[in-house]
Amino acid sequence: MSYNNVQDWIINREDWTPVEKLGETFGSIVDISPYAGYNLPYDVGVKVWESLGGLIAWLINLIVPGNPVSLALVSDWFTNALAIVVMVVVIFAIGFVTNLTMIWQERKFLGRQMDRRGTMIGPLGYLQCLGDGLKTFMKENVAPRAIDKKIYWWGVVLVIGTSVLLACMIPLSPRWYIVNYNTGLLLIFAFFALAPFLIMCAGWAQNNKYSLIGGLRAAELMISYEVPMLILFAATVYMTGSYNIGEIIQWQEDNIWLIVPQIIGFFVCVVCAIAESERVPFDLSEAEAELVEGWQTEYAGMKWGLIMLGDYFRGFVACALVCIMYLGGWSMPVIESFGWYYQYFPELFMVLKTCFVFIFFITARGALPRVRTDQIVNVGWKVLMPLAVINLVITILIKWVVDNGGVF
Amino acid sequence: MAQEKMNADKMWLTMGPQHPFSHGLWTLRVEVDGEIVTDAEPEVGYLHRGWEKECEQRDYQKIIPMADRLCYSASMTWSHLFCKVAEEALDIEVPERAQYLRVVADEICRIQSHLMWLAAVGTDAGNLTIFLWALREREFMLDLNVRLCGQRLTTNYPRIGGVRNDMPYYFERDCLRGIERFEKALWDIVKLTDESSIFVGRVKGIGHISREECANLGITGPAMRGCGVDYDIRRDDPYDAYGEMDFYVPVYKDGDAYARFRVRIEEMFQSCLIIKQAMKKLESIPKTAPYRLKVPKAIPEGTHMARIEDPRGEGVMYLISDGTDRPYRLKVRSPVFVNVSASKRMVQGVRIADIPTVMAMIDMCLGETDR
Amino acid sequence: MAQPTEYYSKYPKKFRGTGIATPVLKVLKHMFKTTFHRPVTILYPYEKEWVPDNYRGRPGLRFDRCLGCGICVRACPTTCIELVEVADDDGKMVLRPQVNVGRCMMCGYCAEYCPVDAMTTTTDYELAEFNRYDLIYDPRRLHFEYTTDMMEVHIEEHLMSNLAKGITDQPTAFYNTDRPVLEDKKCIGCQKCAKVCPVNAIEMVVVGQNDKGKDIKRPKINEKTCISCSNCIIDCPKDALKMNEVL
Repeated sequence: MSYNNVQDWIINREDWTPVEKLGETFGSIVDISPYAGYNLPYDVGVKVWESLGGLIAWLINLIVPGNPVSLALVSDWFTNALAIVVMVVVIFAIGFVTNLTMIWQERKFLGRQMDRRGTMIGPLGYLQCLGDGLKTFMKENVAPRAIDKKIYWWGVVLVIGTSVLLACMIPLSPRWYIVNYNTGLLLIFAFFALAPFLIMCAGWAQNNKYSLIGGLRAAELMISYEVPMLILFAATVYMTGSYNIGEIIQWQEDNIWLIVPQIIGFFVCVVCAIAESERVPFDLSEAEAELVEGWQTEYAGMKWGLIMLGDYFRGFVACALVCIMYLGGWSMPVIESFGWYYQYFPELFMVLKTCFVFIFFITARGALPRVRTDQIVNVGWKVLMPLAVINLVITILIKWVVDNGGVF
Repeated sequence: MAQEKMNADKMWLTMGPQHPFSHGLWTLRVEVDGEIVTDAEPEVGYLHRGWEKECEQRDYQKIIPMADRLCYSASMTWSHLFCKVAEEALDIEVPERAQYLRVVADEICRIQSHLMWLAAVGTDAGNLTIFLWALREREFMLDLNVRLCGQRLTTNYPRIGGVRNDMPYYFERDCLRGIERFEKALWDIVKLTDESSIFVGRVKGIGHISREECANLGITGPAMRGCGVDYDIRRDDPYDAYGEMDFYVPVYKDGDAYARFRVRIEEMFQSCLIIKQAMKKLESIPKTAPYRLKVPKAIPEGTHMARIEDPRGEGVMYLISDGTDRPYRLKVRSPVFVNVSASKRMVQGVRIADIPTVMAMIDMCLGETDR
Repeated sequence: MAQPTEYYSKYPKKFRGTGIATPVLKVLKHMFKTTFHRPVTILYPYEKEWVPDNYRGRPGLRFDRCLGCGICVRACPTTCIELVEVADDDGKMVLRPQVNVGRCMMCGYCAEYCPVDAMTTTTDYELAEFNRYDLIYDPRRLHFEYTTDMMEVHIEEHLMSNLAKGITDQPTAFYNTDRPVLEDKKCIGCQKCAKVCPVNAIEMVVVGQNDKGKDIKRPKINEKTCISCSNCIIDCPKDALKMNEVL
C-alpha cells in the first residue's frame, strides 16, 4: 500500500498506536520489499521508518501543508532505502553483541581452565569487553614514520572490513539475512580466503621485520588449511546438493544433521576453522613469543582494538560455518516440532549453537601450545588433507548407496 | 676496492632487550634465512648493577641479603653459596640441624625456580595454561618459603655458621603436605606437556648439543645433564647434608631441548624425594639442637672458593679476604652467563619459532648473569 | 641406591601418547572442576592471603622498649635507618630509629640484631604512598598495632667453644657475650664513652692521680647491663676500646 499524500497516510490510521497500526501494514512491506520472503530485520527497518519518518513527515506537513518533502518521506522508495539502512544496523548490532558474548565466553571459560576467574567487571564480568574497547579507543593513534602509508591503512581497514562483512553475511534464520545468494557458502569462503593476502600486504607495509615474517606466515598458513577446508565444503555440497545456506540447512532438517555421516569432517572442519580464524594453536602470524605481535606489531591503539574485534568476528563466522555445515544451522530436531519454534527462536538457537562450537576453539586454546610453521604444513597436508578426502569418499559412498535405494 | 655484494638472502633480527621471549633484559641477534636461523649472537650486560664491587663496601653478614638479589627465583642457593664460601674461609662446620634445614630450603628453592622455568616454557610455546598452573604450584612453594624464612623470594635464610631460624611450628606438616600435593599437580602439568604431541613436536630434536660441545662451551646444570654428562655437584662433591641424601641424578643422552626439559621435570620429582628424606632426618634430630654458630665478624686473610648446584648450573664464588670484616674481592661465576654463550651454537639451524623454546631450556636469569 | 621416579621411565624416546586428546580432556576436566569449586585466585584488594607472624614486612618498633642504641642502624645493609630525636611519653628527648621504607629491603636484620626486641618484623606489606616523603616512617609511625611475640626475631647462636665442650643447650647472642675491652695506654679519660652509652653501663672510676694531682679516670664497663652496641668503640677518639668477640 502506498499513500498519495500525507493526509492520506494519517487518516488511514484510525487510532494513534503506531506499533499496532504498523502491524497491519505488513502487507505493504511485501510489495516494496526487495526480499522474496519475509525478512525480520528489514521488517523492523520498515516499521521503524514508518513510525519515525511518518511522524517527521506529519510534523512538516503541519507547518507547510502539502509540501513534496513530506510526500517523499513516506514514499515507497524512501521507506525502502532507509529500511535497508536500519536493517544493516540491526544485523550488525546483533552480530556485535554475539561477538562480545563470545569474547566474554572465551575469557570466562579460559579462566576456569587455567584455574583463575576470568573477567570480573560488570555482571559476571560481561562489561570488561566494553571497558577494553573504551580503553583502546582513548589511545593515541600512532603510526611509524617509515611505513608504506597507503597499504598500511588500506590493509588494516580491509582486514577489519572483510571480517565485519563476513559476520553480517551469516544468516541466523530463514528470515534473518542480508543476501540470499544461491552461492552463499561459496561467497563466504571466498571472503574468508581474502584476509591472508591483506595480512601479507599489511605486514609488508609496516617496514618491520617481525611483521614481515608474520605476514609471510599468514600465507604459509593459508595454503595448508584452505585446501582441506574446501574439500570438506565439497563433501557438504555434494551431500546436500546446494550452495545455498538455507537449502543446506533445510536438507539437514529434512534428513539428518551432517555431523552424523561426516563425523570425521566435523573434527577436521573444527581444526581448519580454528586455523582460518587464526586463533591460538595456529596463530603463527601473530605469535607473541617470537614475533612480538606478528603482523599487528605496528598497529597501535584503536587499530589494534579493531583488529582484535575483527579476529573475533572471524572466529564467530568460523563457528557459524561449522554450525551450518554440520550441526544443522538453526534447526533443532525436537523443539522445532512445536509450532512456535520458527516464530520466535531460530536466531537464538543458531547463536547458542555457534557459542557451543566456540567451546572447542576455547579448549584448543587452553590445552595446546602454538604449532610451528613447518608443523602446520605437515598437519595440513599429511593429516587434515587425507582425512578430508576420506570424508569426501565416505560422503560419495553414502550418497550413492542412498540414491540407488541401497540399505535405506 | 672490490665492492662487497650485499647479502640479500639473509637478514639480522634483533630480539631483545624488550622482547617477549627474553625473560629479562638481554638481546639475541639472529641472522635468519627466511625462517631458518643461520647465526646468532647473544648480548648481555643490560642489568649490570656492580654487585661485586658493592660487596666490597659491606660487612660479610650484610652480603647475605644482597646475594639473595642475585637471582630472583633461586635466591636461596646464592645466599647459601655465599655463606658456604665464608664458612670455608673460617674453616667451620655447620651444625647438623642447620645442614638439613639448608637442604630443605635449597630444594624448595630449586622446585620453585624450576616451576618458574616451566611457566616460562609454557608462554614460550604459546600455552598459558601451563604458565598459570605452574605458577599456581609455585605459589604453594613460596608459601612454604614464607613459613620457613619469612619472605617469598628473597629468603635471607642462611647465615654464616647456620641458618636464621629453626623450623616454625607445623612447618614439617605443611611442608610434607605441600610436597605431596605438588607431586600430584606436577603430573597434571606433565599431561599438558609430555602427553601433548604438539608440545613434544615443538621441543624434540631442536637445539642439539653434543657431549663434547657441552664440555667445550662450559655448560653446566640441567642443560649439561640433558647432553649426557652425568655430573651433579650435590652428588659428586656433596656439601651440607647432601652426602647423606639418596637421590637420582637424571641424565638424558639426546642433547636436544626435550632432553633438557625432561631433566628439569625429573629433578623436581627428585627434589620432592630429597625434601621428604631431609624432613625424616630432621625429626630424629632434637628440636633443641644447635642450628647456628657464633662466628667472628672478620674473616682471616686468604683466598677461598666454594661451589654449589644452582637450579641453573654450577654457581661458584671466589673470595679474597684481607683479614677485615669486608671482602677484598668477591667473584661470582654465574652458570647462566656461561650457558647463554652456547646460544650461538644452539639456535643455528632451528626456525624462528624455535628460538624461544630452545632458549627457555637454558632458563635465563639476568640478575646473576650481569650481576 | 636411588631410583629414578616414574616420570623418568614413563615417556620413552618415541612419542606414544594419544595426540592431543589427553591435554584437551585434562583441561576440560579442570574447567568443570573449577566451575563448581572456587578457582585458586585471590581477589586481592577484597580478599587477602593469610600471612604467618614471622612474615618479614616493614620493620616495626616498640617505642617503650627501645634503648636508642643504634645497633639496627649499623646492621642495616641499605642504611635506611637513622636515629632521630623524638619526645618520649614523658616529654624527654630520646633517640629512636626512623626507617626509610622506600629504601628498606625487608631483610629483618634490625629485628634480628635488636638486643631488647624493640624492633620487630611486621606483617604489614601494603606500603605504597603517593610521595617519597611519606615512605619515611618516624619512630611513632613505626609502631605496629598487631605486634605479637612471634614477630620478634631472636638470635640463638651457639658458641663454638661450648659445642667443643659438649654444651648444646646454651644458645646465646652477641649482645650477651661480646664486651668492649679497654687498652689502658691509649685511654685519655675523656668520658666520651660514658656519655654515649645508651644503657649507662660505663662508669668512670678514678684509678689514681697524675703528676699534677688530677684524677685519672678510666671507664669501667658493667658486664651485665652492657648490650654490646659498640657506640663507645665508635666514639672513642683514641681507639682505646675494642670489641672482644667470644667464640
